[in-house]
Order: sequence, then C-alpha cells, then structure tokens
Amino acid sequence: MKRYIFLVAVLLSVAGAGFQSCVNIEVEPINRVKDTEIFGSETGLFTYRSQMYCELPIEDFKYAHDKLFNDHNCTKSINSLAGESISRDVSGAATEAVGYWNDAYTLIRRANYIIEHLPEYESIHGQDRIKHLVGEAYFIRAYTYYALAKRYGGVPIVQRVLQYPEESIEELQLPRSSEEATWDAIAADFDLAIANMDATSLRGTANKYVAAAYKSRAMLHAGSIAKYNTITLRDNFNTLVCGIPSTRANDYFKQSYDAAKLLDGKYSLYLKSWKSDDKEAQYKNFLELFSQNKSADHPEIIFVKDFSEPESVSSWDAYHVPLQGKGPSGYSQETNPTLDFIELFDGIEKDASGKFANLDASGNYRYFDDTMEPFLNVEPRLRATVILPGDVWKNMIIEIRRGIYTGSISGGISRFLAENATTAYTSTQVYKDNKLVLSADANQKPYEVSPGVLMNPAGLTGTFNSGTTCLTGFSLRKLLDESIPTELVRERYCTTSWVDMRYAEVLLNRAEAAAELASAGEGNAYRADAYNCIREIRQRAGAYPLSGEADLTLDVVRNERKKELAFEHKAWWDLRRWRTIEKEQNARVYRVAMPFYVKENGKYIFDVRLDEKNKKYTFNTKWYYQEIPSSEISKNPNIIQNPGY
Amino acid sequence: MRTIKQLIWIALLVGSITACVEIDNYDEPQETLCGKIVDKKTGNPFQTQTGSDGIRIKLLEYSWSDNPTPYYFNCMQDGSFNNTKIFKGNYNIEPLGAFVPLLIKDAGGEVVKDETKTVDISGVTNLTFEVEPFLNVEWVDNPAKNADGTVTIRVKVTRGTDHPDYQKNLTDIYLFVSNNSYVGNNNYISNYSTKVTYSGAAGNDVLGTTVSITTKALPSDRVFYLRVGARIDVMTDGIQRYNYSTIQSVDLR
Repeated sequence: MKRYIFLVAVLLSVAGAGFQSCVNIEVEPINRVKDTEIFGSETGLFTYRSQMYCELPIEDFKYAHDKLFNDHNCTKSINSLAGESISRDVSGAATEAVGYWNDAYTLIRRANYIIEHLPEYESIHGQDRIKHLVGEAYFIRAYTYYALAKRYGGVPIVQRVLQYPEESIEELQLPRSSEEATWDAIAADFDLAIANMDATSLRGTANKYVAAAYKSRAMLHAGSIAKYNTITLRDNFNTLVCGIPSTRANDYFKQSYDAAKLLDGKYSLYLKSWKSDDKEAQYKNFLELFSQNKSADHPEIIFVKDFSEPESVSSWDAYHVPLQGKGPSGYSQETNPTLDFIELFDGIEKDASGKFANLDASGNYRYFDDTMEPFLNVEPRLRATVILPGDVWKNMIIEIRRGIYTGSISGGISRFLAENATTAYTSTQVYKDNKLVLSADANQKPYEVSPGVLMNPAGLTGTFNSGTTCLTGFSLRKLLDESIPTELVRERYCTTSWVDMRYAEVLLNRAEAAAELASAGEGNAYRADAYNCIREIRQRAGAYPLSGEADLTLDVVRNERKKELAFEHKAWWDLRRWRTIEKEQNARVYRVAMPFYVKENGKYIFDVRLDEKNKKYTFNTKWYYQEIPSSEISKNPNIIQNPGY
Repeated sequence: MRTIKQLIWIALLVGSITACVEIDNYDEPQETLCGKIVDKKTGNPFQTQTGSDGIRIKLLEYSWSDNPTPYYFNCMQDGSFNNTKIFKGNYNIEPLGAFVPLLIKDAGGEVVKDETKTVDISGVTNLTFEVEPFLNVEWVDNPAKNADGTVTIRVKVTRGTDHPDYQKNLTDIYLFVSNNSYVGNNNYISNYSTKVTYSGAAGNDVLGTTVSITTKALPSDRVFYLRVGARIDVMTDGIQRYNYSTIQSVDLR
C-alpha cells in the first residue's frame, strides 16, 4: 500500500510540475511584507520609522562603554570615564569595548531606502508629508554618521541602497572616505533635514529645529577635531581618513554657530519655578527641568527618548541611587562624583590654589558644624546635580561619614596622611594609634561618642572600608527620579525620559563655537554673543555672574559646559574632541572629600585625599580614533585600521 | 524511539565515512625576518619597551595585492626583532616607534621621505634600520641608595633629532621600577615609580641638564630594575611613546 501512495505522489508531482511550468500566475509572494504595505499607509510607515528611532545610537540610560546601545544592565557609565565620578565597577580610563559599525550601516540602509523609495508614494501621502519624512530620513542618516565619525574618523559614505547580488562584492567593498568628507556629508544631510522637515513633530521624533540643534553639536565636534587633533592617517588610496586640515576649523565652527542660532526664539531655558535671588527656588527649578521632562509643555526639551513600563524600561535608578535608597535589586552607588568635579562650581570656600579649603592657616583641619556647612552657599545647580553629604533626598538625610576621630584636638588635628598619598585609612598611623574609628562594612558597631550617646562610625551611605559604599563623599542626584518609592527602585523598572538634546546644550554649543571664532580673530561680536549665552545659563543655575565680556574665555565656556551637562553622557566626548583627556588623565587619581566626626568637640572635619581605592586613570591616545571591528576589515580589505591597533 | 536511535546511528555512520583529512595546500610560513633598530648617530641599539607601545614592525605584503591589510609584530626592548614565521613574499617593512618616522608625507599626502625597506623575504632576511630618536635618555651615574630606602637616579635627557617637526615640548620623565628586567611603561610598580610631569614648555628647560629623580621607599629584600622614560608631545601611530634609557638593576638585599 505504501509503495502505491509513493508512486502516485511521484506521478502527481511530475505531472503537476509539467502543468505549472507553462502558467505564469504573477502573484507576489503573500508571505512577505511588501513595500506598498509599509510605505502605502501611515501605520506601515509608523512601524518602519519606529524601528529607525529605536535603532538610533542614542547614548541614553541604556548605553555604556562596555555594552553600547540598548542594554538593560548598564552598571557602568561614561560619566565615570570623564572625571565627573568614580565607580567601583570602573577601574580606570577605558574606551568603548564594542565596535559600532554593522548596526550603523543597517540603519543607514533603512534611511537610504526611504530617501529612494518613499517619493514613489506621493499620491498617497501628499507632497508635504513626503517631504517631511524624507527630511527625517536625512536626519537619521546624519545622526548615525555622526556616531560613526566621532568614533572612527572617516568612514565609507553610503548614500544609496546598495544592491547585492546585482553589484559584485568587489564593487561593494567601499573604502573609507576622508574624515573631512565624512563630516561634510553629515553637515549636508543635516542641511537637507532642516530644509525638508516641518517645524513641529510628534514627541520623540525629529523636526527642522531638532536637526538644527544636532547640526550645531556635530559641527562643533568637527571644528574641534580640525583644530586640536594631531593624529593623522592616510590609507592606501592616499585618503586622509584620520585628521582634518586645520584650515577647515573656522568653517565648521561657523556652521555650528549658525545652526544653533536657528533655534533662537523657538526654545528657551526652563524657568517655571525660577526666582531671582532665591536659591531654594532656583534649586527646585533645576530639579524640575528633569523631573518635569515628560511634560508636553516644556520649553527646553528639544529631542527626547521616552521610556515606559513595561515594554521600554531602563535600570538607571537601581544602579545609581545612594546606598540609603537601595532598592530590592540590591544595587546602588555606581556614581560617586569626584571632588575635582564639585570644585568646578561656585559657592564653596576655596584656598589660594582654587581647591576646597578644608585646612586652616596652620595646615590643620577646619571644623564644621555639620557635613553640609561647607556647602551652604553653593550654587543651586550643584545641589541639584549631586547629593552633598547631609543633604536631603527622598525625604531622607543622606548621611555620609568616613569615621570618628577620637584623638585629642589640642593644638588642632593635623592631616591624617600626606598630600597625594593613596594609603588606605586602615594603614595610616592615626588609625594604628587608635584615634580613628571606622566601619568595615554596612554592619556597623555603634561607638559611644559621649556617655550614653551611640553613633555609627560611618554614615548610612558610608563610607565603609569595603563593599558597596559611597566612594567620594558625594552621590548622584541629577536624573534620578525622587518620586519612585524605594521598593520600586528595581532593575528594568525605571521610566525616566532621556533628554538627548536640550536648549542649554544648544546655547553652550553656540557659545563655544563663538568663543572659538572670537579667539581666531573672527570678530568681537562673537565674543559678545558667547557672553550672553553663558550669562543666561549661569543666571538660571544660580552661579556667580561673570563680571563682564572680558571674562569670557574658552576655558570659561568649557567649564560651564562641564557643569551644566554633567552626568548627561556628554563630558567624556567633550574631553575627547578637545583632545585634552590625555593630559587630564595621565596617571590621574581623582580627589575625594571624606567627612569625619570629631568626638571631642562634636564637629566635622573633611579629609581631602586621593581616592582610597587608588583608581588610576591613563587615557591611551590611540583611543581618540577607536578600533574598527576587525571583522569589517576582513570583509572589506579596502578599509584601513585606525592607528595603533 | 527506535527510529530516532536508527537515525542517530545513520548520522554517525555517514559522519564517519565523510570525515577526511585535508592538508592545507599552502606551505606553512617558515621564513625569518630579523634585524635591529639602531640610533643613526651612535649606532647603539634603540631602547624601547616590549609590546605594541614600544616599536611595531609594520609589514605590507605586495605579493598578492596592491592594497594589502597590514600585518604587525612587536620589537624586543633592545630594539631587535625576530619573526621566524613569515610567508615567503615581497614586503614593505616599516618600524613605528618613538623616532622620526621613516615614511613622512606632507599635508597633501605626497611622500617627502621614505626610508622604509621593500624586500623579498626568503630564508633569513636580516635588516638594520637607522633611526633618529626623539630623545636620548642617558644615565649620568649609577643609581644611589638612600638611607630611607629610596633610590635616587640621575639622568640627562637630550634631543635626538634636529628635524623641525619633532622639537615638541618634553611632557614627562618617568622613573620606572619593576621586579623584573622587562621594565617600562607597560610593566612597572606604580607604588614605587616616580613620574615628573611638565606643563607647557617648562620641560624643555631640563633638556641637557642633569635630572635627579627618587623612587618611593623600596623594600630591602630583593633586586629592582630601574629605567627612565621620557617623551615629547608627539604621537606615533596614535600613541605618545617613550624613549628609554638602558636598564640598571639595584640590589637592595
């Protein structure tokens, strides 16, 4: 029986093949989504565009240098590579451990496909809509090329949909373009985006002004490379793939400046709760700038990536809250702002060398009534950026204390360790003399500071000798959501929106480009404009005003940028494009300020020292141009590796 | 169940007959490229560190392609190199290190100097490259032990070239201390080593003078190896590289 069935089946299939071969049905395969289904309707387009926005290389809460984009478990952050903070999980200077290449060209292909094919559907969507959407594709292409150029320098420029197998592999092995041509292509794409897109768009998507803001960021980067980069590389086709002729610098700075000016009057700094001469109001206002970033009526937000529960979440709060706010996931304290960063701000008493004045004239420790006293007059922006020791967060006093000094105070307390020493406190003489009480970890043994009064040696947030604890005396406040109850501070639970571009950055881009142009002798009008931008930002921050235009130097602009955009994943790239990070991180150990309680008089002292964990940062200059994934070079021998790899 | 077992047996059987030994049809690399990098002026071996931050030898094999992917290997710390696993072929060889580059192009990409070597590598190919180091680092005398357990050394750093593009500022002088003789910027004990950093042009004033640097206190139970590195504000192959003194050992036992 089986044999018959088999024979029949064979006969049928042979006969069937004979019939079918002469009938041409002309039906497109129904199991595949066709272009008309995607591009022929607004919903189809929406899915295609959503995918592009999801893949956009945004360095948000789910970006880290060891993981790259869209990763939930980013315990590290590039803030701890820029000297803003240190982290127990970041051992020193580093660069991205993963290459960003393949995903970039996939996204570029999607954008190119829209640019080539969407105009065929004009009858469905109308001319204006098509114009906007094609402009959007130019924006996405430019954003992606910017992410490539800042990592690798010159890269292959692909501005059409490559056809394989119609084109041979050899034809498709495109060499790298020069770095100059790459940045010029980015500028041209942003220009097309600005020219084509509407003035407004749905939240989280681009429009004309979004594109202009990013153009100002990208061109500032290009100008900095042209001006400050000294590494050059030519490939076998004699293309300058790393390095831009310095004669181009002013042109790029002008482009950055002009693009930033386009946003004039369209956006403004967030000032809803701001009051002049009211530090508390200015502090609240700066917090609201971020806590209100889901509000539709926010004048400062230009481009935002929203997160929502349960489908799109990050773990930011779970990793970066202070130890006292530790949630059920068990993480905390991944970001510990350095004293070097804190000292950039106004309102802290400083010594002759501009450092936090923790010692008196005779070199002994100064006494403070509590750990907040040195920071009572700081600019409100600092309080809104970091949690100072003893400040309030989520209705808790965040208690940071390294230990208790139990020795005699007659004649003053002299320094526990020599300047620039990295010795652990447990190895110091003062500890061996039993004058310091410390806590090994979070399981503290209370110490009797006066009859009947017990005190834990360390604060609730630390600092302990080891384990998860505050490492610097400070903790992160910015971007943390104070409204989440502690039990919900969990991994993959954070829905804070990521503000990728806000108007303050545009003002800072404009000021920096203007300051560069002014210093290059392009006219004092630029200096005046830079001064006005910085004045506006400093006023909102509650910082001391500059005394006049003459005070406006490039360093002032750069420092303002470090302060305003701190912990927003910008500083590391800024230090890289200024080509100063190799000098800042040359066997560098960052400084911390450790509060100690003094048993005898009930006051506090601050020990300023090098980070006790002795994390030494040395930036390797070859990282200015990152390593192109070697798999890409094996696929395409026309691509040359960057220097030093 | 039985059919699955049968299928596994069949798969194993098929696997066993189709498996075969295929010998690569290309001979294994067995040519040798060796030689040394020496100071053009003195003829002394060029002092460098081990690893890719010392001297890298860049090979471009032109036997197959006009556009080859470079192949790199590293020099030893006395400036000699020896690679016994090179395929026979025609190569361009260019060492990259803390010396005036052997291949210099102008801003327009035109070659203005080319002292790289293009040779057929076959058998043992021995090459000597004469280079001009950015800096010479020379001992003034032997390291001196101090009563507090530290060691003080004295060196003289001078420019090794008068090429106008390589007269940049001296940025730092580093006394490296290690437990073994492979001492350098990639192998030192940071708790004992001392770095002197100069900002701006300040470092240029110490050029030609005797510089003394002291280590941190060293344990007195072993032999330490000391070496001094100095560098100018120039990057070669993406990295700001050190010029080194020779290595001195101090026996503290």
